[in-house]
Amino acid sequence: MQLNRRDFLKASAGVGGLVLLQPAVLAATNEFPNTSAPQSDIAMLVDASKCIGCWWCYAACKNYNKLPETIKPDPEQAPELSPDVWTTLHTTKRDGEWIFRKQACNHCTDAACVEVCPTGALSRNKLGFIQYDKDKCSGCGYCAEFCPFGVPQLDSNKLTGAAVMDKCTFCIERVTNDQQPACAEACPTGAIKFGRRSELLEEGKQRVAELNNISSKGYLYGENELGGLHVMYVLDDSPESYGLPAAPQVPPTSIVRNVFQWVGIGGLVAIVAGFGLNYIIAREAKITSELPGKEQMGRGKRNG
Amino acid sequence: MGEPRVVERFKKRTIWFHWIHTAAFLVLIVTGAILFIPGLGSAAAGGLTRLIHRIAVVFFVGLPVVYFVFNPRMSLHFIKETLTWGKDDLDWAKVAPLYYFGGDEEKMPPQGHVNTGQKMWQFVVLGTGILFLVTGFVMWFFKGSVAPGIFQWCVVVHDIAFILAFLMLLVHIYLGIIHPRMTESLRSMWDGKISKKYASSHYGKWYDEISASEK
Ligand code: HEM
Ligand code: HEM
Ligand code: SF4
Ligand code: SF4
Repeated sequence: MQLNRRDFLKASAGVGGLVLLQPAVLAATNEFPNTSAPQSDIAMLVDASKCIGCWWCYAACKNYNKLPETIKPDPEQAPELSPDVWTTLHTTKRDGEWIFRKQACNHCTDAACVEVCPTGALSRNKLGFIQYDKDKCSGCGYCAEFCPFGVPQLDSNKLTGAAVMDKCTFCIERVTNDQQPACAEACPTGAIKFGRRSELLEEGKQRVAELNNISSKGYLYGENELGGLHVMYVLDDSPESYGLPAAPQVPPTSIVRNVFQWVGIGGLVAIVAGFGLNYIIAREAKITSELPGKEQMGRGKRNG
Repeated sequence: MGEPRVVERFKKRTIWFHWIHTAAFLVLIVTGAILFIPGLGSAAAGGLTRLIHRIAVVFFVGLPVVYFVFNPRMSLHFIKETLTWGKDDLDWAKVAPLYYFGGDEEKMPPQGHVNTGQKMWQFVVLGTGILFLVTGFVMWFFKGSVAPGIFQWCVVVHDIAFILAFLMLLVHIYLGIIHPRMTESLRSMWDGKISKKYASSHYGKWYDEISASEK
């Protein structure tokens, strides 16, 4: 909601028209604000340089969440996120060798999915990650359409549109009971670490510094992106080569929609006030026109 | 009151069309607002209101199509009326604020079958109808297959159409039911008739035309 108000104020400077609105909205979302994730937040640190592509995180996620099991995937045909796949590996070939990055919900601080979810099914847990309540989901799929990473998954009925959203839960039942997420626990190389975000941030920066001693492409993705992700990545190459957008942003359309929600409510208030004013005036006019000598509504007088 | 209501304003089938269409429209407004207006959203949990939105769409779109097929000439005339704007409309627009918020009726220019304000409503109904149809169609059948950016803009345009249509509908209802001077309006949408006096004072040009053709 914080984001909501700030962007709304900035954006409403241009309510005059969409054209005017766009730059203001873009300005409000394009810059990376410094991490606004609170100190107490928990997070995961995914070190792509340590990932060997064993798929144990993938298997552990399926197992723990009782999703249909599959055999160990081939990097040539890495499974995509789906209602049955909440975490997977993004695979790319670099110099003839596969490089991997664990891919799932990034639990953003500025989370577009939460912004657009009509029902409040998606919300922020007080530990920082993005939780959801399946019973509240309407199946509208807005979260999937507005998420900058295309994370939420729905299997919609083509005709009725019926669906329920699924995505990484951050293993809410586990992390609120002093356990780590299933994927982090399963990882044999320490490529997935779980802990306080502030501590993982330091660790991530250190790893990046080490990597930068070798090549200069080290980058800690998620430190500031979208207000700070709750899944951060140690990368030894450009974000794109790991399938991550270099400059993710909350889609301006979600803020435009926000603005119009208030335009609609404002318009409603203005119109009802107009009715009140008009009613008083029209009744006066009616009474006057029915006074003796005026009751003949002549052809010269025609109202609307 | 008490005037014999003899001038035919709307045909029976038009009246049926109007009210069934209104029912569909109201359902669409409620089920749409539940997704759009913050605070109402929890009513969409489980997705039932989304299903109802789609069922109402079938009527909202189907009814005009059926009406058009059976009354092509009347429908085309309606569209032409909606799209024809002239000097009278300009004159009307100039003095309308004086009338609506100043009570000054003297300057209102004579109007045709519908006045400029009504024509504006017809224009909004047609225009937003097309916007709803195009964007709603994409959101219904191309969710997931069209680029997310296009889907997002469809939602926004659907919202803009919603605001326009909903606010204008309130004006439409207010003028039809509550406004003190529109005395025969609602009844004309019930049995199709108005009195000569009401016709001549509200729709002078139209009244002159039909009384001329009667002679
Ligand atoms: C003309 C045919 C129409 C179609 C095909 C259509 C279809 C849709 C679809 C597919 C959605 C997205 C939610 C979902 O997937 O269930 C939607 C949302 C919505 N519809 Fe419609 N609709 C139509 C007409 C209308 C009308 C007439 C209104 C109101 C006057 C309306 C108001 C809304 C609103 C307010 C939303 C929510 C948008 C948001 O959350 O920002 N729709 N409609
Ligand atoms: C509760 C809702 C509504 C009420 C009470 C209402 C009432 C009326 C009345 C009384 C008239 C006759 C106006 C006159 O000639 O004096 C009328 C006309 C009309 N209505 Fe409605 N109506 C409603 C909803 C709608 C909706 C939802 C639509 C379109 C989607 C619509 C479209 C029209 C059109 C196009 C006309 C003819 C032009 C005009 O008179 O403005 N109405 N309505
Ligand atoms: S990655 Fe997508 S689904 Fe996950 S919190 Fe961010 S916006 Fe929401
Ligand atoms: S699909 Fe469910 S969780 Fe996603 S935005 Fe719609 S109601 Fe919210």
